[in-house]
Amino acid sequence: MTGWPILSLVVFTPLIGVLLIVFVPSSNHRVIRGIALTAALASFVFSLRLLGYDPGGAEFQYREDVSWISAFGMRYTLGVDGLSMVLVLLTTVLSVVSILYSFDPIQTRVKEYYATMLLLMVGMLGVFVSLDLFLFYVFWELSLIPMYLVIGIWGGPRRIYATVKFVIYTLVGSLLMLVAILAVAIAHASAGNAFTFSYETLRGFGYADNLQALAFIAFFLAFAIKVPMWPFHTWLPDAHVEAPTAGSIILAGVLLKLGGYGFLRYSLPLLPNAAVAFAPIVIGLAVVAVLYGAMVSMVQPDLKKLIAYSSVSHMGFVMLGVFVFNTQGLQGAVFQMISHGVTTGALFLLVGVIYERTHDRLIAHMGGLNGRLPRYAAIFGLFTFASIGLPGLSGFIGEFLVVLGSFQYSGWVAAATMLVVIISAVYMLWMFQRVFFAVPSDWMRRFWPTLTDMTPKEWLSLAPLIVLVVGLGVLPGPVLHAITPPVQRILDVVNASHGLTSLSLPW
Amino acid sequence: MTANDILPIYPELILTMLVLLVLTVDLFLARKDKWLLTPLTVIGLILVGISCLETWGINSTIFAGFYRVDDLGVFFKVATVVIGILSALFAPSYLNQRRLPLGEFNVILLFSVTGMFVLASASDLITLFIGLELMVMPAYLLAGYHKTDRYSNEGGLKYFLLGSFASAILLFGISWTYGITGSTRLADIGGLVHGGGPAGLIAIAMLTVGATFKVAAVPFHYWTPDAYQGAPTPITGFLSVGPKLGAFALLVRLFGEGLGASGADWYGAMAILAILTMTGGNIVALAQTNVKRMLAYSSIAHTGYILAGLAAFAHATDPHVRSQGLEAILFYVLGYGVMNIAAFSVVGMLQRDPRRFGGLGAFAGLAGRAPALAAAMAVLLLSLTGIPPTVGFFAKLYVLVAAVNAGVAWLAVAIALNAALAAFYYLRVIVYMYMRDPEEDPAPIDRSRLTAFALGLSVIGVLLLGIFPDPIISFLRASAASLL
Repeated sequence: MTGWPILSLVVFTPLIGVLLIVFVPSSNHRVIRGIALTAALASFVFSLRLLGYDPGGAEFQYREDVSWISAFGMRYTLGVDGLSMVLVLLTTVLSVVSILYSFDPIQTRVKEYYATMLLLMVGMLGVFVSLDLFLFYVFWELSLIPMYLVIGIWGGPRRIYATVKFVIYTLVGSLLMLVAILAVAIAHASAGNAFTFSYETLRGFGYADNLQALAFIAFFLAFAIKVPMWPFHTWLPDAHVEAPTAGSIILAGVLLKLGGYGFLRYSLPLLPNAAVAFAPIVIGLAVVAVLYGAMVSMVQPDLKKLIAYSSVSHMGFVMLGVFVFNTQGLQGAVFQMISHGVTTGALFLLVGVIYERTHDRLIAHMGGLNGRLPRYAAIFGLFTFASIGLPGLSGFIGEFLVVLGSFQYSGWVAAATMLVVIISAVYMLWMFQRVFFAVPSDWMRRFWPTLTDMTPKEWLSLAPLIVLVVGLGVLPGPVLHAITPPVQRILDVVNASHGLTSLSLPW
Repeated sequence: MTANDILPIYPELILTMLVLLVLTVDLFLARKDKWLLTPLTVIGLILVGISCLETWGINSTIFAGFYRVDDLGVFFKVATVVIGILSALFAPSYLNQRRLPLGEFNVILLFSVTGMFVLASASDLITLFIGLELMVMPAYLLAGYHKTDRYSNEGGLKYFLLGSFASAILLFGISWTYGITGSTRLADIGGLVHGGGPAGLIAIAMLTVGATFKVAAVPFHYWTPDAYQGAPTPITGFLSVGPKLGAFALLVRLFGEGLGASGADWYGAMAILAILTMTGGNIVALAQTNVKRMLAYSSIAHTGYILAGLAAFAHATDPHVRSQGLEAILFYVLGYGVMNIAAFSVVGMLQRDPRRFGGLGAFAGLAGRAPALAAAMAVLLLSLTGIPPTVGFFAKLYVLVAAVNAGVAWLAVAIALNAALAAFYYLRVIVYMYMRDPEEDPAPIDRSRLTAFALGLSVIGVLLLGIFPDPIISFLRASAASLL
């Protein structure tokens, strides 16, 4: 299959699905679901081809490069390294899972739903594989609107508030990033080079420190809002609580990773001086995020909100790992992104399972589910432990590596984050205990006669995540192997930089 | 006057003959055959557009320096023709429902288009003024076109009074300019800034006020919302883009050509006006619950973005960057023209019942009632917001590139923040269309095929220009080059 534009196939197969769905009558749910699942699966199968990525080979593989808007040097350049490869796979897997899971819960406006989900897939995959800053921006924005619709149309009672907040937050960040992208490209061009947005060309250029500082802040805003980093996280709990289950899976599983990926791919290699100079601040914010997310999780009455805040904490780990600038930290950050995508995606799916049966997510309304739904309890337990970071499951590797990395940066930072591992055990286990072992609430008892354990379809959608959470925990080697070269490249750039030594402030 | 003077202006001649033809044919058509005027107008305009393209590359000054046929003018004329065609296609269904005469509409529209043609090619302040008046006089008539409607009367009168006032200020500025420089040629007024002394400043101030009034820049925008809201909706669409395009042609001619050399001196005023305009327009638009009014205010915000392009042009010294500033204006004017006129037409389609004023409620649940219409409106709104891959995004990008390149990155930041602000109210319409249930008695939808056809055309244009802007850009570069 060499010579095939494999990345374009991965990215645009879902778009073909959209075009097909448009022509199916909206009452024909079976066909629409079939097309959506087939398109997502096809994209997944194509993405499996990327496993052939050779960590010892060229930096970016499966490259495609076509001129697009020649007047401004914008090109359609795609390519993957180990970092993109693992994230593309995560995206295709989670997209298949969320589309499959949506078969039963989504019964209104089915046609629009699957078209939107597939469009979302196009945007997300495009972000991970584009190597042109302009193209990257286009995909970045393209991933925003479908999520806006998913939350706004198929969400809960306060969905409109949540989705508008989500979109405005994200837009403010991303529009400033657009200015920064232009500033970077223009700075490169005004040094006598051809006008280009090519990532590979732009990153090696030594930008003036002033520009680096300003551009870094703009990129930082865009990515930190997406991650989301404390104190830019307030849209996340609202969005998660109101989003339909599949929306939450994608939001937590992939969309947050766009932010982390942005830091790794763009902020650090493009603007290393600023990254080094701002690192202590970012690390400070990350530590706050880790602690704050965990502590706030403890007091959440709503299952989804609890998991949302725990995401803030987990993504704080990612940011910490990125900005301590050493191999373990960066590897841990990437691994944590993958692991968080899998476990949190699964947890949201599991919350969706009980929500479908009771239409409630309040922990206080649960209790005693262990006796009634033993299989559900077992699988929920598995992912609870994965989220806490039990050795042998995927969560452990990432957190351990990040802590190892941050210890080299500062013992205090490591100590503070270790503390969180304990807090996370507190809130997850306490939640688990209240939901599954406590005396059933009167409210829950009403459902006793009709409460059924997990359906085959739910098992089927969870199966890939179960395999991944155990597989990655036992055998992290292949992923770590794949991400080592890109991580090393980032470190080479960052370690060679000297911070913002020639910053001249305007005041 | 020689034969050489006549040849380059044959598009204008064809256009004038077309106006007279439509006027005459209208007299002899029975009421049931009046619809024939629309194809006549559209085909005529297409011919005019083709003849404009034929004058591409002539770049000569004629009529002893009063008139200049250059590529910049050709671009403006072609854009005008596009807007004219869309207006002629969008209006009939709406006008027929209200029993408003189609013939006069087409004639007045074409007269206004003729004014824009003159503006686009003016190389003398007198020609500029004649073109301007020829453009806005019909526009006043159009704003008050619904004779029996009080709002339309009010809007038309307001537009006329304030518009004449602005014209007077502009004219006064022109006379000061003549007094100082002894010439009305655009090529000669460059000395106004240096060597004009305080009187020169007054002249420039009056020219600026008069011209920015016509583009509806804050703080000279007060006539806009009422004029726009009162006018029949498809006409509002035309008013919000047509005369605005003409007014930008005026600005480009006056400031780009006439005062271009001393850009550094007036750049500050333009930049401040740009920021005031985009922010002011957006903030007031946020508070609107009537979509028609919201679009009116948002059109003010768009003026601000375009003015930023002019500010970038003024601030730059590198000819390449100056050209980029002008290209940004041209691209934005065209892209904005298509998307805004189409967005207004959607509002008009929801006013099949004449008692509806285009409130947000009419859009509630539209996605369920008319999926294609809602999708088209969603694309237009996203384009107006500036989300890729649409023409609205690329237009903003063009301005941003020009601003950053010209070294006014703070202006780019202001545009970015304003775009986020604008997202709030544009997306609100999407919220209504997709995320709310229809009203108890939903507004009837105009399902005229002609309007739908024009809407489809515009949406395809919005997407195509957004994804593949390359062909247009080379056209733009040549146009800008003809001025520099």
